Amino acid sequence: MLDAMRSDHARKQRAHGIARAGVREERSAPAQGRWSPTSRSLSGPDRQKADNVLAARQLNRAAGTLAASVLADSAVEHYRGSFKNKAMLTPIVVAGLTLAMSLHGTADKRPVAHNARDTSYLLAAGTGLLGTGFHIYNVTKKVGGFSWQNLFYGAPLGAPMAILLSGLLGFCSERLRANGPRRRPRVLSLPAGKTVATVAALGLLGTSGEAGLLHFRGAFHNPLMAIPVTLPPIGAGLLGATVAGSGECAHRATRWWMRLLVAMGFAGVGLHAYGISRNMGGWRNWSQNILDGPPLPAPPSFAGLALAGLAALELMREASDG
Amino acid sequence: MSDDPRHSPRARNGRAPDVFRPGRWVSMQQYADNEAVDFVIVGTGAGGGTLACKLAEYGFSVVALDAGPYFRPLEDFASDESEQTKLYWTDDRIVDGDNPLQLGSNNSGKAVGGSTVHFAMVSLRFRPEWFKARTKLGYGADWPIDWREMWAYYTEVEQALKISGPINYPWGPPRPRYPYRAHPLNAAARALARGCEAMGIAWTETPLATLSAPRGLAHPCVYRGFCVAGCSTNAKQSALVTWIPRALSAGAEIRDLAMVGRIETDENGLAVGVHYHRQDKWHFQKARNVVVAGYAIETPRLLLNSATDKFPDGLANSSGLVGKNLMAQANQAVWGVMEEEVRSYKGPPSLAITEHWNYADEGKDFFGGYCYMSQGPLPQLWAKTQASAHGLWGARLVEEMKRYNHAVGLKIVGEMLPQEKNRVTLDDEVDQYGIRIPRVTYSWCDNDKRLIDHSIGFMSRALTAAGAKDIWIQHDDTCHLNGTARMGSRPDNSVVNADCRSWDIPNLWVCDGSVFPTVGGANPSLTIQAIACRTADRIRSLARLGEIRF
Ligand SMILES: Cc1cc2nc3c(=O)[nH]c(=O)nc-3n(C[C@H](O)[C@H](O)[C@H](O)COP(=O)(O)OP(=O)(O)OC[C@H]3O[C@@H](n4cnc5c(N)ncnc54)[C@H](O)[C@@H]3O)c2cc1C
Ligand code: SF4
Repeated sequence: MLDAMRSDHARKQRAHGIARAGVREERSAPAQGRWSPTSRSLSGPDRQKADNVLAARQLNRAAGTLAASVLADSAVEHYRGSFKNKAMLTPIVVAGLTLAMSLHGTADKRPVAHNARDTSYLLAAGTGLLGTGFHIYNVTKKVGGFSWQNLFYGAPLGAPMAILLSGLLGFCSERLRANGPRRRPRVLSLPAGKTVATVAALGLLGTSGEAGLLHFRGAFHNPLMAIPVTLPPIGAGLLGATVAGSGECAHRATRWWMRLLVAMGFAGVGLHAYGISRNMGGWRNWSQNILDGPPLPAPPSFAGLALAGLAALELMREASDG
Repeated sequence: MSDDPRHSPRARNGRAPDVFRPGRWVSMQQYADNEAVDFVIVGTGAGGGTLACKLAEYGFSVVALDAGPYFRPLEDFASDESEQTKLYWTDDRIVDGDNPLQLGSNNSGKAVGGSTVHFAMVSLRFRPEWFKARTKLGYGADWPIDWREMWAYYTEVEQALKISGPINYPWGPPRPRYPYRAHPLNAAARALARGCEAMGIAWTETPLATLSAPRGLAHPCVYRGFCVAGCSTNAKQSALVTWIPRALSAGAEIRDLAMVGRIETDENGLAVGVHYHRQDKWHFQKARNVVVAGYAIETPRLLLNSATDKFPDGLANSSGLVGKNLMAQANQAVWGVMEEEVRSYKGPPSLAITEHWNYADEGKDFFGGYCYMSQGPLPQLWAKTQASAHGLWGARLVEEMKRYNHAVGLKIVGEMLPQEKNRVTLDDEVDQYGIRIPRVTYSWCDNDKRLIDHSIGFMSRALTAAGAKDIWIQHDDTCHLNGTARMGSRPDNSVVNADCRSWDIPNLWVCDGSVFPTVGGANPSLTIQAIACRTADRIRSLARLGEIRF
């Protein structure tokens, strides 16, 4: 009797949740991509399957945003380094592939993992790990070793992490699709929402650390440079709180915060463009200043991670509702 | 009318050049010659420019005169070493002594902003003990200022110039974080670092007065290495783009192409103003106080040239010390060639430094100290060095120049001891303004020679350890001039007191490198500016106490 009541209650909540989710999706369509109407008209396992695919596609998009950021950033930075080492082409090829696969994934509504995507995401994650190793090697072999000078101006330690994160998010996305109609989707037997939220939170912290290091190198000469070292860690904290099981109110706050971070990520491009204009010759001297000024493609990696955070929130809601 | 700033003054008609905006002007307060201003300052370099700014900001009326032009770095500075000789003070001077100084490019400038317009931007604090060199280290003379007070003024100047420096400075007492981060090292700096690591001594990124990030309308450094030929991006934080714009907006007047020939004193023995030459005419600016800040040669020259019946040996000279104790700094170098390309001219010339021998007292057979830095000579200077110091000419010089991209070197800034026989006197010859020219007499003492030998031996080993071959030594070079109007605690052993105020004439001040009792083994400009900031503070306090007549 009690059980019946509880499940009844749960069903009501769930219905409520889905309806709200639908509205949310529509409202935030530009930020989150097109809402697929299929899941609304479906019911039961089919709807669940569609929800999982939707979340997976959101993750593909997050992975793609990160990959795009890595592609452009590593292309500019490694071009600046004259591709002194052939391995410096790797992140460009891999990020390009990851971006293509993510686009494919974002468009793909089938509820099954895709082999090529899977492989390329794993490749991206592997490249990230390897790249981090390379960058650490590059820093430590320089005279002065592990010093501020080499952390500032040697190969950036945190940068290859972005492609690792892209790979991880993409990998999670494929696992999600493979869940079929399961109500509490899992990634490698971990709860999907919480896993993705944790990855996104750690990614936000790491990326914020990287921005912090480089903005410290720039002596925080503009107060706005403090934004990417304050807003993302708060976002990571909020995501952490939702993973730890906070209430609806915290969920809502986290969702808004993630949207703020998406906006921040793209606004950062504008601010970096302004930063470039302050170098000798400004934008008229673009071919030099794009290389020497603040990196234009870097800030959107925050947007990629925040998009993953949003997808994670959806997954967690589904899971707790279910 | 010609817009050549060397021929017609730019700071006129209530406006001065806006150094940050091509073709634009900033408004400038102007004073009439017969209006007695609170302070007339002779020279607008590290000492005078800083003081003009601070005094104007404290509400005093200030006119600062400079014999040099008012350059607009964004427009007037070419990437051409020959063209940029226009920055140097190359008026006639006579040099003699056992080791006659080479004057001009390496030690004095003539421009609004003074020598800081073409200086190498190295911005070091003195070792605290140097302020009590006689008492604590047993040589030279004590300064009448406590190092802790200087430490605070260093901080003020580092902030004002947004010095970019290392996070942790390996030597001396703790200092606050440099406002901007250190610049990336070039290959020449990395060679210095490798040498130091091989020799087991510390090194660090050099604190530099050039921006590693944007500041207002000034651009960050572009690492093209033209620094000592004048920086055309405004990254270099010279007095011209830091203190002077501040001085103007605080109401100071700057007069360019205005050569002061004489300080006038009245029957009471007080200074009443200065005679200056501008636009083909002599003028007289009345003033309640006169500050001389013309650098270690022009300052004593002006004081000596202003002699009267009452002051037959020149102004402020009852001690007989005006012009004496001139101190250059040793500037010997060790050069070599690396297998790989170095391109040492990329970036500011001295990106890495070791002050080990400034702070270590063991293992020395000399008094004083030296630092050494990586080098980045521009091609013309390099060819000249090869010809004059290395003795190469013709085909051998051409061959050597082919290795320019592989050349690497270390150079000291070494302490030379004060000696009364090293001095500036007046010669009977006159210059283009009809003013008697200075004779500069210089000889190294045994201590100077021992210091030089020590540095050459050490740097040769360090450069070899860094992988350089074909090592050769540049024996004869000096830089930075100081002394000649030293500060002290008594009228009989110094020209000015700790406040840079002359003992003899209470409204005559000297505020530049001339006041140094000792030079230390560190480049002087940060200390000159710190002293100027202190002097301004002291003047404000004394004025409040009624101890300065206005
Ligand atoms: C090539 C070079 C590199 C240097 N590198 C460094 C460095 O890296 N770090 C460092 O700390 N220091 C460096 N210096 C030294 C530093 O620039 C000087 O020590 C400092 O600028 C001296 O300050 P000052 O006020 O005594 O004189 P200056 O800055 O030379 O100013 C004197 C001004 O007075 C003017 N003047 C002189 N006489 C008269 C007169 N009678 N009437 C009107 N105007 C007059 C001159 O035109 C000049 O503009 C360098 C110097 C040179 C030349
Ligand atoms: S290297 Fe930097 S400080 Fe030197 S001239 Fe160029 S921009 Fe100016």
